[in-house]
Amino acid sequence: MTKTNDMNPVVIKNLKKSYENIEAVNGVSFEVYPEEIFGLIGPDGAGKTTLMRILVSLIDSDEGDVFFKGKSVKENVKFVRSKIGYMPQRFSLYPDLTVNENLRFFGDLFKVPAEEQADRMRKLYEFSKLEPFRNRRADALSGGMKQKLALSSMLMHQPEVIVLDEPTFGVDPVSRSEFWDILKKLRDNGTSILVSTAYMDEAGLCDRVALMFGGKILAQGKPGQLLKNFEESLYLIETDRVYETFKKLENLKIFSEFNLFGDGIHIVDNENRGEQEIIHLLNKNSVDYKSVVSIEACLEDLFLKLIPESDD
Amino acid sequence: MKRILYLVQKEFRQILRQKIYLSLIFVMPFIQIVVMGFAITTDVKNITVAVVDHDYSFMSRRFIDAFTQTGYFDLKSIGRSIKEAENAMQQGDVKLIIQIPFDFEKNVKNGKQPQLQVIVDGVDGNTAGIVLAYTNQITAMLQREWGSEINAEPADLRLVDVETRMVYNPMLDSVYNITPGILAVMLMVVTSFLTGMSIVREKEIGTLEQLMVTPVKKIEMILGKTIPILIVGFLLFNVGMLGIGFIFGLWIKGNLFTLYLMVVFYCFSTLGLGIFASTLAKTQQQAMFIAWFFMIFAILLSGFFIPVENMPDFVQVITLLNPVRFFMVVIREIYLKGTEIRYLWEEGLAMLILGLITFTSASMNFHKRIT
Repeated sequence: MTKTNDMNPVVIKNLKKSYENIEAVNGVSFEVYPEEIFGLIGPDGAGKTTLMRILVSLIDSDEGDVFFKGKSVKENVKFVRSKIGYMPQRFSLYPDLTVNENLRFFGDLFKVPAEEQADRMRKLYEFSKLEPFRNRRADALSGGMKQKLALSSMLMHQPEVIVLDEPTFGVDPVSRSEFWDILKKLRDNGTSILVSTAYMDEAGLCDRVALMFGGKILAQGKPGQLLKNFEESLYLIETDRVYETFKKLENLKIFSEFNLFGDGIHIVDNENRGEQEIIHLLNKNSVDYKSVVSIEACLEDLFLKLIPESDD
Repeated sequence: MKRILYLVQKEFRQILRQKIYLSLIFVMPFIQIVVMGFAITTDVKNITVAVVDHDYSFMSRRFIDAFTQTGYFDLKSIGRSIKEAENAMQQGDVKLIIQIPFDFEKNVKNGKQPQLQVIVDGVDGNTAGIVLAYTNQITAMLQREWGSEINAEPADLRLVDVETRMVYNPMLDSVYNITPGILAVMLMVVTSFLTGMSIVREKEIGTLEQLMVTPVKKIEMILGKTIPILIVGFLLFNVGMLGIGFIFGLWIKGNLFTLYLMVVFYCFSTLGLGIFASTLAKTQQQAMFIAWFFMIFAILLSGFFIPVENMPDFVQVITLLNPVRFFMVVIREIYLKGTEIRYLWEEGLAMLILGLITFTSASMNFHKRIT
């Protein structure tokens, strides 16, 4: 077992885990620095949950090392479980217990003394705004409130490192942004956070991110920095009939890379044609469009560009 | 250890908030005892009879009367045609045919021992056996009655009368046998189902995963789950005993605390079965199926309906692995005979050993990990 001198809260080195013939995690390495929000960004099935479960000692890895606060997770299961805060995917509290009882229960399990619990609950209620609902059963809370309660419960033992698996899944946009505000406050108070999400727009809220796909990390770094890797020009084609236009482009094969987005079609100008030539090509092939605009790449563009490259 | 208390407290909060649990504890035992106590009866009554009387004498009529007077038989027809009677049996209208030969009375009086033919519908073997026994008793009684009129050698007369009298259950009322058995079965069903389902429910809602990543020990998690259910089972058992007492007037004869002790021994296995089911199942339905699969064997091979002594030898050996078989003996002994613990320690020990094996091996199969 290799020793790491690095005291970063989470250090993952060349981690591998496969189920039968599916490689869920295939050679992943990254570190979470103290007091930062590290985002694991990727679609369902990218291996995010498996990775997190290995980190919190719920499953064993096949290869590679995972260190939590400088200690190997495999050899220090008890240490990990008493120090880490873990929020599994989806809502995972007791629906038939009240908000207050859920918090108390998790505080009790970590043997937090009663006075300390009261103090901590006051603080947690303060930022979660759950105080008015303290005697409401958890199943009667809204989706956003449930997530805030789940987060609060796992903060009862004041973990310095928290691991959140898609905490904002299925939560409305307002509650999502509230939730992220809480995460930022926690970070500012000294908590290191590893969070996974399938929402690309949440990546920008992290200090650093890793783009994950097919069990591999495609790229990692600060979100702004990562986008600098996107060197090609990007054009947005706006059209009223997005899907038909997209189909037509697929048949024409005049552009090597283009993707369907909510606002239209993004064309990656791998051939360095420039705006005028693209317009010319579209007209020549009588493609239906309203306008062609040069745009800045977002993480999703980067993601889609990196996915085909990850296949080799 | 304090954590077990927190887990138990949480479990009770959940139990008390679900009305279904409360009705399970207080209503279910009553309903089961009433319905099953009355319905499951091995007493044979209202046996339909066709008599084919070729003699039409005073004695043949007395013979028929003797049958109808017992209250067990329901005389459907008296005729002369065996064919008709056989048709009636074929159609299921009668269960028993008695054929009285010509010169029945004459032969009896001359001590010639006439042959009576008795045909029993053997589809239900149990009933058939009991019907035959009744028939023998009635004929024996008539032999005694007519003894003085018979011109027989003294040697043919019975010198000793055998009269069977049952102890502990003088009327051979099956309620006495069935109702304590229902308690045994109910205790198993409820404790193993609840254990299995409440663990798997936490799997389903995701709280188990959350619990795993806490310092809670495996043994604490298991005890935190099983202790509340043991208490629920215990309550249910007591409510059931009250039910039997009030409805059937059957109260425990032996020592209540001996029975309680045996209940605890017994529940080790049933709780273990629940844990075992929960380790295999991903959904509550699966847990129920797995638990049910084992329960069917346990109930049928327990001696609840069919005495273990009646089973083939190799099946009897298999029943030694069945805790219900031992508890069935223990609860009936204590309930009906008031048997003391010193005669029941073997059964108790067997249940304890089986229970500890089931409980520990199931617990070892329970991981604080995701598999």
